Amino acid sequence: MRRLTLVALLFTLLCGPGLARAAAAAEVVIGAVYPLSGNLAKTGLDIKDAIELAAELVNEDVDLAVPLGKGKGLPNLGGATIRVVFADHQSAPEKGLAEAERLISQEKVVALLGSYNSNVTATASQAAERLRIPFLNPESTSPLLTARGFRWFFRTTPTDDEFSENFFKFLNDMKTRGRPVSTVALLYENTLFGTDVSKFEKKYAQQYGYRIVADIAYDAKSTNLNSEIQRLKAARPDVLLQASYTNDAILSTKTMKEFDFRPQGILAMDAGHSSSEFLPAMGKDAEGILVREVWALDLGAKKPIIRQVNELFRKKTQQTRGQAIDMDGTSARAFVGMLVLADAINRAGSTDPEKIRAALEATNLPADQLIMPWAGVRFDPKTHQNALGNGIIVQIQEGTYRTVYPFDVAAAEVRWPLPAWGR
Amino acid sequence: MSAEVVAQALVSGVLIGFVFALIAAGLSLIFGVMDIVNFAHGEFLMLSMYLSYFLYTGLGWDPVAALPINAAALFVLGVAVYALLIRRVLKAPMLAQIFATFGLGVFLQNLAIWLWLPDFRTVGDTWLTGRVEVLGLFVSRPQLAAAVGAILTTGGLFWLLTRTEVGRALLATAEDRQAAALMGIDPDRMFALAWGLGAACVGVAGALLSTFYYIFPQVGVVFGLVAYVAVALGGFGSVAGAFVGGIIIGAVESLAGVFIAPAIKNVFVFAIYLVVVLVRPRGLFGKS
Amino acid sequence: MKRAPVIAVGAVLALLVLYPLVVRDPFRQHIVILVMLFGLLGTAWNLLGGFTGQVSLGHAVFFGTGAYTSTLLLQHLGLSPWLGMAAGAAAAVLLSVAIGWPCFRLSGHYFAIATIAVGEIVQILVTNWEFAGGAVGLFLPIGDEGLGALQFHTSKLPYYYVLLGLLVVAVALAAWLRRTRPGYYWRAIKEDQAAARSLGVPATRYKQLAMALSAALTACAGTFYAQYILFIDPGSVLPLSLSIQVCLVAVLGGAGTVAGPLVGAAVLIPLSEFTRAYLGGSGKALDLVVYGLLIMVIAAYEPGGLVGLARRLAAGRSARSARRGAARGA
Repeated sequence: MRRLTLVALLFTLLCGPGLARAAAAAEVVIGAVYPLSGNLAKTGLDIKDAIELAAELVNEDVDLAVPLGKGKGLPNLGGATIRVVFADHQSAPEKGLAEAERLISQEKVVALLGSYNSNVTATASQAAERLRIPFLNPESTSPLLTARGFRWFFRTTPTDDEFSENFFKFLNDMKTRGRPVSTVALLYENTLFGTDVSKFEKKYAQQYGYRIVADIAYDAKSTNLNSEIQRLKAARPDVLLQASYTNDAILSTKTMKEFDFRPQGILAMDAGHSSSEFLPAMGKDAEGILVREVWALDLGAKKPIIRQVNELFRKKTQQTRGQAIDMDGTSARAFVGMLVLADAINRAGSTDPEKIRAALEATNLPADQLIMPWAGVRFDPKTHQNALGNGIIVQIQEGTYRTVYPFDVAAAEVRWPLPAWGR
Repeated sequence: MSAEVVAQALVSGVLIGFVFALIAAGLSLIFGVMDIVNFAHGEFLMLSMYLSYFLYTGLGWDPVAALPINAAALFVLGVAVYALLIRRVLKAPMLAQIFATFGLGVFLQNLAIWLWLPDFRTVGDTWLTGRVEVLGLFVSRPQLAAAVGAILTTGGLFWLLTRTEVGRALLATAEDRQAAALMGIDPDRMFALAWGLGAACVGVAGALLSTFYYIFPQVGVVFGLVAYVAVALGGFGSVAGAFVGGIIIGAVESLAGVFIAPAIKNVFVFAIYLVVVLVRPRGLFGKS
Repeated sequence: MKRAPVIAVGAVLALLVLYPLVVRDPFRQHIVILVMLFGLLGTAWNLLGGFTGQVSLGHAVFFGTGAYTSTLLLQHLGLSPWLGMAAGAAAAVLLSVAIGWPCFRLSGHYFAIATIAVGEIVQILVTNWEFAGGAVGLFLPIGDEGLGALQFHTSKLPYYYVLLGLLVVAVALAAWLRRTRPGYYWRAIKEDQAAARSLGVPATRYKQLAMALSAALTACAGTFYAQYILFIDPGSVLPLSLSIQVCLVAVLGGAGTVAGPLVGAAVLIPLSEFTRAYLGGSGKALDLVVYGLLIMVIAAYEPGGLVGLARRLAAGRSARSARRGAARGA
C-alpha cells in the first residue's frame, strides 16, 4: 500500500506540471523578461508592443502571411490563444534571474522570451535551463550566449561575430567600387556590448587587412566625450567603426560636429544609432552614417509584409503610448521571436516544455514568412543559434534609414564619403 | 602630442568644468549654511532641463532666454523641499539626512520616468548652436555660453553673499546659528533661502546644459556625482572651493582622457579627490 | 539576556529554518535568500557604519572583492569556493587596511565621499581589466553540484541553508562584539571621537578593526552571490547603487542596532521585489516612485529606523499600561 502511494506520488510529481499545463490549453502563457524601467525602458517598451502585436496576430484571424496569421489561435491546440506575461529586469542580471524563476514557478509560463541585454539573457536563461523551460532569445547578440551549449536556449538573431565581419565585407566590396579604405578607428562603449563588438572588429580588421589607428573604449556614463573625439581626430582614420547606446550615440555625434571630426565613413553597430530617438535628436547631423542593422523599413519595397506589419505596429504604439512609432531592428526581431515560438508551440501540439523544445529544434521557417532579411529560421542542432540569419547595412539618407548593403537587397545607392555637416 | 592638442584638451576641459562648477556651487551653498548634503541635487538639475525642454517645444522659448524662469521655478522648488522635508531632519543624524534627500532623488527620478517616459530628448538647434574657431582651437558655442553663464551666476552668488545684507545674514547663520538668531536673524528663513538659492543655481545650470546635452530622467545621476566630488574637493561649504573644484575636475578628466585612456579618465577625477583630501582633510578651501 | 529576546530570536530562527520546507516555490525562496543576503550585508556594514559611525558608501568594493577573488581562483586554479571565500575575505581585509589607513583621517561627508571615490575607481578599473573578464564579466564554470563545490542546480535549499549559516554567524558576531570591549570603544568613537581618544581609546585601530571585520563578512557574501547567480560582472557586484542599497537596508532598519539590518532587509527587499513584480511590468517605474517616497518618509519621520519606531511604540504601550496600572491602583 505504502509503495503504491509512493509510486502514485512520484507519478504526480513527475507528470503533475505537464498535466496541469496541458489541461489549461485554452490559453498558452508565455513569459517575457525585459528592461521595462531604468535606462533601457524605452527599448523595453518597444519590444513589449512588438511581442504583444505578434501574439495578437496569432490569436486573431488576420489576412497576413506571417506564421499562424490565418485562423484564430493555435490550431493544433484547439485554437488556444497566447497570453504573454511581462516582467521587468531593470537591466540587472540577478533581477532577470529572479523574474524568470517567478514567471516559471508562479505564472506557470510554458516558455520564455528575453532579455535584450546580453548579460541579463545570460542569467535569465540559466533559470530556464535549470527549471527545464524553453528560452527563446530574439535580440541579444553576444556570441558567448550560444557557446554555452545549453539544451533549452535558442537564439534567432545573428551575433556580433557575424555583424562585425559584415563591416569588413562591406569595406572590401566598396574597394571594388573604387572607394579604397585602409585605416579604421574603433570607438565603443566599454560594457559587454561595445567590448564584445570591438574584439571581433579587431579580429576581422587583421584578417581583412585593415590597419587600426585608434582603439578607444569610453564610459557610457560620461558627462562628455570631448577627449575621446579629440583622440579620434588626431588619429585621422579613413573610417570610424562605432558601437554605442542611445545616449552616447547622441553625445558622440554632437561632439564630432563640435570638433569637426569627419572621416570618409562612419559604420555604427545598431543599438543607439538605430534607436527610434537617434534620428529625431540628431536631425541633419546624422546624414550619411552607415548603420549595421538587422532590419529596415524599406526592405518593404521588396517584401510588402514588412510595410503591413509596420502599419499595425504604428497603430499599436499609438494606442499604448499615444504616439505612432515605426518598428526598428530590435522590435522587429522581438516580433519574429514571438512568432517563432508560437510556431513551435503549435507544431508541438502541446504545452509540454520538452515537446516545445523538440519542436523548436525542428523549426524551419522560410524567408517569405519573416519580416527579416534572413534566409529563414533554422537552429543549429548543437548551439541552437539560427543558422540562416544575416545583417544588412543601412545609411541615413534624407532623414530615413535606407538599405544600401548587401547590394542585391539594397533599396538605395551608398553615398560615399560622408557629406559635410548639416547637408 | 602637439601643443595644439594639449591646448584643445585643456580648453574643452575647463569649459565643461565651469558647468560642473555652477552645479557644485549650489550644492556647496546649502551645505555651508546648514551642514546638509543634498543628494537630490542631480535630480533638481534634471527637472530644470525638462523645464527648458518643454518651454522650447511647447512655447518655442529659447532655453537661454527662458533662463530666469528656470531659476525662479527651481528657487520655489528648493524652498518647498526645505519646508516640507528638510526642516524635519535638521537635527537628525547625518545618515537620516542623507537618506531623506537620497529618497527624494529616487522619487523625482522615477516620477520623471512615470510622467515623461524614459526617452532621450534634445532641444533642437538654438541660436547658440555651432562652434567658433580661435587660433585653431574649436570651441562649441553652447559650451562657451554655458561657461560664461556659469561664471556670471557664480559671480552673482558671490556678490550676493559678500556684499549684501541678506548674504551677510546667510553667512552669519552658516557661521553660528545661535549667534545669528540672537542678532535677530531668523535661521529658518535663512535655511529656506539657502535652499532656494542653491536650487536656483542648479536651475540656471540645467537651462545652460540643455542647449548641448541630451535630457532624460537619469541625467542628474552623473552630474550629481561629479558635483559632490567637486564640492568635497573644494571643501564643503565653500562656494569658491566648489567653483575651483569643478574646474579642476573638468580639466583633469579632459587631460586624462586625451593623454592616458578615455575609458579610465574618471579614475583620475576620483584619485585627485583622494589625493587632495589626504593632504588637506577638509578640501582645498575648507576651514580646519 | 532577558527571556523575551531569546524567545524572539529562537522563533525567527525556527521560522527561517522551516520556511523553505513549507514554501516550495523557488521565486519565494529566492526572495528570502535575497533578504538574508542583504541582512548579512547590512549587518556587516553596520559594524563600521552603525556601531562605529563611519559612513561607508563604497561597500560594493568588498562584495566585488569576494565575488571576483573566489571566481578567479576557481576558474584558473580550480580552487574550492570555500577556500576562495576565505581568500576573498583575506583580500578584502587587506583592501580595507589600504583604504582605511589613509581615509580614517577624514570625517563625516569627506569620508563618505572618499569611499564613493574608491568604489568608483575600483569599478572602472575592473571594467577595463581583461583578465577579470572586463565589462563582459565572468561565467562560473558549471560543474557537479554539491556542498564542496558550493553549486546546486536542482534545488535552492542548500544555498538557502548555507546562507542562513553565514547570516547566523555574522549576527552572533555582531551581537557579541557589541557587548565586549570593541563594541564599547566603537560606540565611544561614534559619540565623540576626540573625547574617546582623550580617554585612551585607540580610535584609528578600532575603526580599522570594524572596517576589516565588515569587509571580510561582505566579501563572504560576495562569494556566495557569485556561486548562487553563477555570473558576475562589474555592473552587478561593484556598482555604487549596491553600496547605497546595503547602507539603506541598515539605516532604514535602524543603524547601530543588531536587529536593524535584518528588519531593514526583511522590509525593503520584499517590498522592492514585489512592487517590481506587480507594478514594474508597466514600464512606468511606479514601483521606484513608491520606493523613493518610502525612503524619504522613513528618514524624515523616524530617523532611528524601523527598530527605533518599534521601540518607541513598545515604550509607548508599556508607558500607557503603566499609567493604566497606576490608575487602577489608585
